[in-house]
Amino acid sequence: MSCSPFDLKDFLLQELADPQRLQVEAHVQACRSCRLELDRLRLTQTALSCLRDEEIPQRIGFVSDKIFEPSRWRRWWAALHGSAGLGFASAAMLSVALIVSVATRPAPAPRVAETAKTVSDDEIRQRIERAAAAIDARYAQRTEQLVKDIELRDREERRASRAMDEMQIDYLQRNLQAANRRQYVASVSDGGPR
Amino acid sequence: MIFRAVEDADLIQRAAKGDVEAYNLLVSRWEKPMYNYLLRIAGNREDALDLTQDVLLKAYQNLGKLEEPGRFAPWLYRIAHNEAYTMFRKRRPETGVENVEPRRTETGITVGGSSVFPIELSLSVASALGRLSAEQREAVVLKIYRGFKFEEMAEILDCPVSTVKSRLYTALDLLKEELAPLEARGVS
Repeated sequence: MSCSPFDLKDFLLQELADPQRLQVEAHVQACRSCRLELDRLRLTQTALSCLRDEEIPQRIGFVSDKIFEPSRWRRWWAALHGSAGLGFASAAMLSVALIVSVATRPAPAPRVAETAKTVSDDEIRQRIERAAAAIDARYAQRTEQLVKDIELRDREERRASRAMDEMQIDYLQRNLQAANRRQYVASVSDGGPR
Repeated sequence: MIFRAVEDADLIQRAAKGDVEAYNLLVSRWEKPMYNYLLRIAGNREDALDLTQDVLLKAYQNLGKLEEPGRFAPWLYRIAHNEAYTMFRKRRPETGVENVEPRRTETGITVGGSSVFPIELSLSVASALGRLSAEQREAVVLKIYRGFKFEEMAEILDCPVSTVKSRLYTALDLLKEELAPLEARGVS
């Protein structure tokens, strides 16, 4: 029976608010039996973590049904909002900006305007392509960096967690083996194994 | 990883409007945890796979009834719990719900083979879990392996939080006696 001010299992499962958690931590420091009890609960939790999830033997997928199929407009809208639509959206925004800029620019003298128009069409297209490519490249670079950072952090966390697991499991295994030996000795002294 | 950035809630909203691909993406995220939950309560792979398919189809058909997309997980597990127990009842109609025991043709548990998780320890855990009652085991699976909050577990199991806690804590005491025995620590 634990004399902790709050349930040690609530503490183990992180169900306590901070002030209660601090009270339990302080109590466990001072009380040997509660410390041992918490130690056993932690070992139990570690042992349970040995069982890993299985891969599903067969992937599940649903095929499109005409009744539920979204309209063409909604599919276009979804595509625009998807990650693949990012580049397209950037290019579209640039196009709009350029068109507005061209439309609001004061009209030059007719002769110059004619020459400028033929040049600016090509130029606009090239600029749009260059700008869209630059945006895409920037996004790709940022995403790659982000993925690298996350993977690195994940690897470090896994390594730390693995080291901790190894220590606890080794301890747990020794305990279980000792318990089994004790049980065997007890059964032998009770008249031998059956 | 990039796909992960798309929130479930967004996929749910799109799927509810009939976007099957959005639902397939949602399925790809949830099929493995769902299969493993059902595997541990049903006790064999064949039933677990059949139930997983049924649950995900039922969820798709009823997605429009989900009021809060943020509560998709407990809602989905509630469907799974009901489907599993409906199957158990069909197999043993004379048995009350509280006495329902899953078939135990297999352990329903994958034992580890890596250096970190030695096989004998995994077997001890599988055996200890197998000795719990169906209700206690389900409480352990939902809390320890699936990480649900007590309120969510109460919603999934359709019982008060106090009952959920009682089942889980009794189970933890039993597991503790088997997996971290007091005698083995040299304390009596």
